[in-house]
Order: sequence, then structure tokens, then C-alpha cells
Amino acid sequence: MKNTLKNPAVYLMFVLPTVILYGLFFLYPMFSSVFYAFTDWDGLNPAKFIGFDNFTKAFSDDQFHVAIWNNMSFLLFSVILQVPVIIVFALLISNVKKFQGFYKTTVFIPSILSTSVIGILWGFIYDPDIGPIAAFLKFFGVEPIYWLAESKWAMKAILITNAWQWVGFYIILILAAILAIPRDIDEAAAIDGATAPQRAWYLTLPLIKPIISVVVMLSIAGAMRVVDVVLVMTNGGPAGTTEVMGSIMVNKAIKYGEYGYGMSLAIIIFAFALVLTAIYQLTFGRTERIEY
Amino acid sequence: MPRTLRKSLPHIVLMAYVVIILFPFVFVVFSSLKESNVEISQAPFALPKSLYFENYAKAWTQAKIDKYFVNSAYIGVSSAVIGVLIAAGTSFALTRMKFRNSSKIVYQTILFSMLIPANGLFIAQYFLVSDLHIIGTHWALFWPYTAGALPFSVLLISAFMKSLPNELEEAAIIDGLSAVGLFARIVLPLTLPALVTVFIINFLGNWNEYLLANFFISKDALRTLPTGMVGFRDAYQMNYALVSTGIVFSVLPVLILYAFLQKQIIEGITAGSVKG
Repeated sequence: MKNTLKNPAVYLMFVLPTVILYGLFFLYPMFSSVFYAFTDWDGLNPAKFIGFDNFTKAFSDDQFHVAIWNNMSFLLFSVILQVPVIIVFALLISNVKKFQGFYKTTVFIPSILSTSVIGILWGFIYDPDIGPIAAFLKFFGVEPIYWLAESKWAMKAILITNAWQWVGFYIILILAAILAIPRDIDEAAAIDGATAPQRAWYLTLPLIKPIISVVVMLSIAGAMRVVDVVLVMTNGGPAGTTEVMGSIMVNKAIKYGEYGYGMSLAIIIFAFALVLTAIYQLTFGRTERIEY
Repeated sequence: MPRTLRKSLPHIVLMAYVVIILFPFVFVVFSSLKESNVEISQAPFALPKSLYFENYAKAWTQAKIDKYFVNSAYIGVSSAVIGVLIAAGTSFALTRMKFRNSSKIVYQTILFSMLIPANGLFIAQYFLVSDLHIIGTHWALFWPYTAGALPFSVLLISAFMKSLPNELEEAAIIDGLSAVGLFARIVLPLTLPALVTVFIINFLGNWNEYLLANFFISKDALRTLPTGMVGFRDAYQMNYALVSTGIVFSVLPVLILYAFLQKQIIEGITAGSVKG
């Protein structure tokens, strides 16, 4: 009877499509990226092996320094500003009874939408002539500000758009963890006279530390690979001030045909994400398993 | 603090946040029903003077939103359907069939890919689709989308199939079902909730994807909504009423889907990210 589930032909029929697609679209590109990252290659002529030249070139390029700093701004903005806000909102939602479902549903909406459409939408909001922010400021007599065209503002404008898109998603992640904590722990503390802020700080927060770690690690990964929102809103401008590692990678490869260089940037991005995650894991992110 | 204030303070803060989330949408819907930039700039926060639905007809045909919409819809749906079926078949073989060792290797390799950021493979995939001579066609999106969704799909569906009771398949086999019959008539129907979740997550991912769609497709008639919308904005920069209409067309299907299936969508997307 067991032979039915030992039929190799059937097994192959089910497994092969995945193995082939996976090999073709994951493993092969992965290995070829690593290979070409060490070459000078324009996509037409044979690739020339140049050792670590692409990597030294990247790290001595001023434009790439700006990009690294911008990726770091994404990271710092989300970890220092967004994460505390996210935790507070998640705590607030977990504590209300009325409208809890409504809040949950609403805050999640931006994270299911296309980043490019959100970029267009916020381009409209930021428009200096007819955007609502300009109209609002005009009411107070403030001259229109070119949010996306002034190097002083462009990066901040993108960071806010990005936050608008993702904060709700993380709120829901943390909220789910809070709601999974057994209620009697909280009730016992309340009976013992702990106030709501005390319970949040001494009880809930330590219990959701693992999921906060997850949020921080997702933020690291997200901040390193960010690219769509920049391409759509400013395409790196004005004067390269909003360029991120991903946008340089895409433009160098597709626009200028520097494919070998582009692939070395892909590896640098991956390495940044890996190293930052490891640093976080070894310092603040250490968590023990929690049993209720 | 008085009791009523303490009770309503969280709601005041949360409502303020909800307004920040919803305001851009309301603003866009209003603007899409206004006649021109002049009307938007004169009264940006006011209701439209008269409901100017012409924008919708104009955007749909003149701005080719209809084409983008159809392209997005059929690539998004077909790739998600094929991806779910392939992933379900593989998950069945990995979790229910008796090839322990090879299943373990396949599963671990797939798990490993969750570490790789998708954008990192972008350039290599560009060459791959060039070499396969599918660049510039919808296949250049269909295959990477289908393949890209497989790891998450296999992991999620496998987790679900593992939990099915053994007795069920024993009974089915005694009754004379083949492995394929067992898969199609017993396991697939029982796994339906997981399949629906995976389908929606993959569909949303395809519907929203920008990077590949932008660089692997150059013909305007073949563009999908996210890239078509950017081209549309650049062409109609001056007409924000029309751009707003385009945004409504692209966001509405997602919101309708969300209205009906928000539980699966929220669970699926958060599960996908945490495992990744």
C-alpha cells in the first residue's frame, strides 16, 4: 500500500517544475552575479576578470558614499523614529475595545499598495503648485517649497512617504504579538495596582521583545534594498542627493551597461544587510525564548 | 486626568493617524472628479463642484489605462495560479511522499533562498531573460514572478500539508486512489485555505511589482499598471485630475480584494515577511 507514495515518476513530476524554476531564476542568477561581480563586463564583449576592482571603485566613488549614507538614513529613520511610534500605536490599539478592527484594517492599507503608485500619489501631495501641503502652507503665508526638487528636502520627503507606507504593516505585526499574550497576566498586574503605562513598560514590552527584534531586522533588510520609491519619486535627483545603493545599481547596469559593476553593487548591498543584521543580533537583538 | 478623557485619548491619537492614512486617498478621489488643475488648486480640500466623470473615461481609453489594467490583471492572475499549483504539487511531494532524503535537500535549498534579497538578482535575471529570448514579452515577467513566489509558497503550503492527518491518505489509498488522485481529490481541497492565502499574496505582489516590469518590458502596449502609471504621470504631469483617476483605477481593485479578504491578506503578508 505504501508503494503508492513511493512512485518516483509522480515524485519527479511534482518536484521538477519547482526545482527547474528555482535553479533557473534563483541559483543560476546568484552564481552568475557572484562571478560577474569580479569582472569588467558590458554585456557584449567577453567579461574580463579584474579581481576586487569593482568593489574598490564603489567605495572610492563619492556618489556611492552619498548612497550609503541615504540607505543608513532609511535605517536610522525607521529604527529611531518609526519603531517607538509603531510600538506606541500597537499598544494603543491593543488597549481599545471600540473600533479595534477598524484601526487594524485601516492602518494596514498602505502596505498592500504598489510602491510606484504611492510614489506618484505622494508626488502629487508634495506638488509645490497644487499639492495640498502647499495649499495648507499658503494659508499661513508660507512660500511654496519644492519638496522633491530641493536637495535640502528631497530625502526627507521620501523618508516620510516610505514611513507612511510601512508603519501600519509593522503596527499589525506587533499588535498580533501583543494580542497573543494571555490576558490574565495583564489582569493580575492590574489587580495588584499597576497602572496602564506601568503594565505596558514592565510587562508587555519585555514580552514582545522578540517581535520588536523581528521588526528591526526587517527594517534593516528593507532599508538596504530600498529602490522603487526613489526611482519613482526623484530617480536619485536633485543632483544625486537621493540616490540609494539600489538605484545606483539599477542605473549603472541598465543605463550605462556596466553590468559587472552593477553586480558587485548587488553583492555589497547583500553584505551590508548581512553585517548589520549580525551586529544587531550580537548586541541589542539578543532574545531568549519566552514561555508563558 | 478625568476618566472620560483617559478613555478617549487613545481614540483621538489613533483617529489622527487614521486621518493621515486616509487623507491622500480622499484627496485623490476628490481630485479625480475635478475638471482641471485650476479647480484643484483653487479649492484643494473642497468637494468637486460637479462630479466630472469624464476623467475616468478619458484615462481609461486615451491614457491606455485599460491596456495596463488588462496586462496587470492577466499576468498577475495567471502567474499566481500557476505558481500556487506548482507549489502545491511540490509541497505534496515533499511532505507526503516517501522520499525523505531528497525532499530534505530540496526543502533546505528553498529555505536558503529566503535569505537573498530579490532586488539583488535583478541584473543577472535581466541577462537570463535576454538569453532566453523572452525579454520585452510578458513571459519576461510571468516566469520571474512565478519562480520568485515559489519559495514562500512552498514553505507556507508545506507547513499546512504537514498538519493533515495520516489516516486520511491511508484510507484513500486503500480505496484505490493513485498518488495523483490523492493529491487532486483529497489533499488539494483540504489545503484550500492555504492556497487562497498564497494566491492572494502572490497576486498582490505581481500586481504591484515595479522594478522588473519597468526594465524587462519596453513596449508601451505591454506595460503593467505600476510602470504604465509612471509613464502616464510623466506624460500628463500637468493634468493632476487625470493622474488621480489613474491612481484610483490602480488602487481600487486591491482595496476591493482587501475588503473581502482582509484577514487572509493580513495573515499572509505578515507570515511571508517574518519567515523571510
